[in-house]
Amino acid sequence: MKTLIFNSILFLLLPFFTNGQTQLTGMVKTSYGETVPGVSVFLKGTYDGTTTDVDGKFAFETQETGLQILAFQAMGFKSQELSINLNESAPSFSIILKESINELTAVTISAGAMEASDEKKAVVLRPLDIVTTPSAMGDIIGAFQTLPGTSTVGNDGRLFVRGGDASETAIFIDGMKVGNAFGTTANNVPTRTRFNPNLFKGSFFSTGGYSAEYGQALSSALALQTIDLPLRNQGDISLMSVGMGYTQTLAGEKSSLTASANFMDLSPYQALIKQNFDWERSPYSWDAEVSARRKWGKNGMVKAYLHTEAGGMQLWQPQPGQEGRGQMITIHNRYTFAQTSFRQSGKKDWNYYGGISYSDNSDKINLNTIDVKQRNRLIHGKIVGVKGFSDRFSIKNGLETFTHNYVEHLVEEGLSRSYLDQQVNIFTETDYYFSSKMVFRGGLRSGYSSLAGEGWLDPRVSLAYKLENEGQFSFAAGTFSQLPLEQQRVINPELGNTKASHLILNYFISKSGRTFRAEAFHKDYKQLVTFEGLPQAALNLRQDGAGYAGGMDVFYRDRKTIKNTDFWITYSYVNSRRQFAHFSTKVQPGFAPVHNGSVVVKHFIPKLQSQLGTSSSFNDGYTFTDLNHPGEMNSKTKSFQDLSISWSYLPKPNLIIHLACSNVLGRNNIFGHQFTQEPNEAGQFESLPIRQGAPRFLFLGIFLTLSKDKTANQLNNL
Amino acid sequence: MKTSILTLALFISWVSLAFANDPAYEKAMLTQLENLKSANSKTEYQAAANAFERIGNMNTDAWHPPYYTALAYTQMAMRAEGSMKEKDALLDKAMEHVKKAADISPSNSEIVAMEGYVIMAKLSADPGSRGQSLSPIVLQTFGKAMGLDKTNPRAMALMAQMENGMAQFFGQGPEKACRLAKTSLELFDKESETTLSNTLNPTWGRELAEGLEKSC
Repeated sequence: MKTLIFNSILFLLLPFFTNGQTQLTGMVKTSYGETVPGVSVFLKGTYDGTTTDVDGKFAFETQETGLQILAFQAMGFKSQELSINLNESAPSFSIILKESINELTAVTISAGAMEASDEKKAVVLRPLDIVTTPSAMGDIIGAFQTLPGTSTVGNDGRLFVRGGDASETAIFIDGMKVGNAFGTTANNVPTRTRFNPNLFKGSFFSTGGYSAEYGQALSSALALQTIDLPLRNQGDISLMSVGMGYTQTLAGEKSSLTASANFMDLSPYQALIKQNFDWERSPYSWDAEVSARRKWGKNGMVKAYLHTEAGGMQLWQPQPGQEGRGQMITIHNRYTFAQTSFRQSGKKDWNYYGGISYSDNSDKINLNTIDVKQRNRLIHGKIVGVKGFSDRFSIKNGLETFTHNYVEHLVEEGLSRSYLDQQVNIFTETDYYFSSKMVFRGGLRSGYSSLAGEGWLDPRVSLAYKLENEGQFSFAAGTFSQLPLEQQRVINPELGNTKASHLILNYFISKSGRTFRAEAFHKDYKQLVTFEGLPQAALNLRQDGAGYAGGMDVFYRDRKTIKNTDFWITYSYVNSRRQFAHFSTKVQPGFAPVHNGSVVVKHFIPKLQSQLGTSSSFNDGYTFTDLNHPGEMNSKTKSFQDLSISWSYLPKPNLIIHLACSNVLGRNNIFGHQFTQEPNEAGQFESLPIRQGAPRFLFLGIFLTLSKDKTANQLNNL
Repeated sequence: MKTSILTLALFISWVSLAFANDPAYEKAMLTQLENLKSANSKTEYQAAANAFERIGNMNTDAWHPPYYTALAYTQMAMRAEGSMKEKDALLDKAMEHVKKAADISPSNSEIVAMEGYVIMAKLSADPGSRGQSLSPIVLQTFGKAMGLDKTNPRAMALMAQMENGMAQFFGQGPEKACRLAKTSLELFDKESETTLSNTLNPTWGRELAEGLEKSC
């Protein structure tokens, strides 16, 4: 017993007896020979330790003896441990730390890509920009039309990328494909996306060379991410010059539910403001949305989303060479999009995500006396697993299935035709960091279509290198496949993939509030669909079309130089020639102007609690075929110019008043000319210009948020 | 004999209570708290953060070390003149330690206030584009901290600073921020009356409220 007590006392007093202090010194460097300050250096399992100084040197004393572990830890480097023996004399250490690949500081592949995010780097837009760009008028796509690589086609409204037509851009929500993302419309009447910008927290827009994860798009992929968990319960009321809506959000710690209903009718607006188009019934629509989200474990999330809508319009379209109001076209549309998606992280650095989506679009179109019904349905299933082997090396594998069903009826004649296509895709992609300055990505996407009876394989590679000045070069190349339009496949089910190959070289730098991006590209098209006759009644569909698009674009954004002002300037040059559709030679497509540019300026005035915005866009005009002269696409319209302005006023944090006007200067933009099919008695083909729906579009909206939290607002709705 | 063992046992347990289990821990923490208080340069903040992290590794069930690691990184980021990327990296590090502290001591008003402070620092790195998405989260987090402990002066002083920033942005008067700053100063007074000078519990933040009040 006595010994025990003695031992305890001895143990308590032990520190006072030992006086053997050892001094540990040394220096820490990187593998490039630079000294590293701020490294935590310590003996594991003790309080003894220090931090390296500005010269990477360290020195500390310890009373420990014998075998110990000396540890080194620093941000941006891999930790290192060293077994040492303190009984040996005066140790000095020279340590080389290896850098760790950190998402924040490492190079990213920016070829073709433009991200909108609050969190990430290499970002071109912020989610808020999507809704505060004046010319966008609250349409997601409107904001992307001010980015490099895109062309504004005012009589269509969809996204046209680098000499590609609108169908060449695929749209995804939370990784799931969206069928018929744009509202159905009449020829030469511009359309909009169906989805509320409020839904999304970020986006990834690629104008080429994108990941093997995305397929069935020749030119471009737009991936939108919905918000995770909303913060609080709130009700949002919107009153607009074109309609109204209400959204209720119920938010919990782990789950949330949002339901909204919107109603839109342009009749009152168009009764007040004179239109160029001859409307019999102005566009109208209603939609309802429910979205539910739930956290799944610590890192996982499950989302479900349902959007359903109906709408229509009726208008007279004057015909060249004819007196009177022309042709009457009536459209009824019914659309549903439903999806559920998940993401979860597993053990051993595995991450999983996937989901299933369903798009269902029905159109009833009446043209003069012809009644047409079309129904397009798409089911997309996807599962992806990503395994990280180290901070340098990861592999992504995915499996996707598409079920695609299309039916069209000629109602009076009792005729109908349809097809059903099953597609399976497998993709794999690997990322390898040589260092935090250089990354390589290689991917392979394979697919099989049951209808076309065709299998395909698309390899893709990219490489990025970061320079000393934070700028980085990226290179991307790859091939891309896309099955033709439904209306063509239903006529000739044997049509296989149209093909494109991309080559992209990109320079990107973002530093203290300024971003510069320049990109050169070349794109080759093969196996494009060609036919004889009109698109509505195509004959002899085959795949002998081909072409190319090449060019470059630049983007500069500055949020720093002028106080409270944020602006960006974009210029895109596209040289495109292709033989496609009914063209028998290689022509410059009507949707691919050569010179495209835009300038967006936003200025915040704190005193007036207002944000003023202007955006101007221009291009050098659209090609068209003048039948009175020989050749195809032998003429060009005057240049397109638009100046839009907006004013957002926030008198209270929960109230926003937003006023916007497009084409303030009232320029009469022409998008092409429509010709008669037969010459008149004088041997001339008569024509009519394709114009804007109205000289200007005026928008007034009042957005009120009801919540216990008085600072909540609907900025996102603008 | 038995009594002496008992006495010794009692003595030891008294010692451990008085010195919060471990005198070495206590001593190391107090030294580093002084270092953090006097830190002025990037290296000094980094040294304090490293030291707190080391102490945390030795005492995995104490919330103070990760809390102060987070504070050191946040203050470093707030004062750093580097790029936004650099600030974000520091603040990510801070958030990592906030989460560690919250796992050890859930529903702790101080830790929740610290979390809000980190998010506010992220916001102030790029207010123009982050303000809209982060400001509600910041307000909500400070609100939660104040709800957990109505006498936490730091939660209120930080909230005052946030309100002040928002008022400036929306072109409103500073009345609300001033009121909060004033109340928080009263709480700081009360806190300094009741706490011992060698406490490990947070006592920082007075300067924030004082600075604000001066501009009222």
